[in-house]
Amino acid sequence: MSELNLTEITPQNTVDARGSACPGPLLEAKKGIGKVPVGGTLEIISNDPGTKNDIPVWAKKVGHEFLGVLAEDGYDRLFVVRKK
Amino acid sequence: MSEEKTEKMVVFATHGGEDPERASLPFVMGNAALAMDVEVTVVLQGTGVSLAKQGCYEHVFASGLDPLKKLVDTFVEFGGRIFVCIPCIQERKISEDMLVPSAEPVKAGRVVEAVLEADAVLNY
Repeated sequence: MSELNLTEITPQNTVDARGSACPGPLLEAKKGIGKVPVGGTLEIISNDPGTKNDIPVWAKKVGHEFLGVLAEDGYDRLFVVRKK
Repeated sequence: MSEEKTEKMVVFATHGGEDPERASLPFVMGNAALAMDVEVTVVLQGTGVSLAKQGCYEHVFASGLDPLKKLVDTFVEFGGRIFVCIPCIQERKISEDMLVPSAEPVKAGRVVEAVLEADAVLNY
């Protein structure tokens, strides 16, 4: 089975939650996923270290698929597939 | 076909601007729960009722958290409910027209009903 290469993903929507205090990135993700078609991918950009833990929990709770996180210089890029 | 049950959470806020952190955290948790498709009611009691008073909640700032006004406005935007204790506002000479429009003045019976229906209750 081939490993998913996150750098090759073209998200259908990107929300930039940098500078947003907890739980802002979760709320941005909730708003952002609504603009993605089912099966499409949402990218969340955050410079809050806690977002790496919160987004997978959020995705599992609301029924979407967390793909992973890419660490960039000073921020993270997180990817979620809309499943419903 | 199974029907998904909406989970419910009640958060009690009993501190106002005298303790900005404890005043803000109920809405931080409430907003996180709303993002996770939980139905949330924040119950304001004691000095916490000032958090729904126009002219007050705009001036509460806790270090490291969003301003309370942003937290409350977001909470309402995402469908959260705010219950305000009627005896508590009467005691503080706060009339209903002084509250933010989304606030719902209630007496103890509605609060008890919400607590009994909730899957989780948080107290601040």
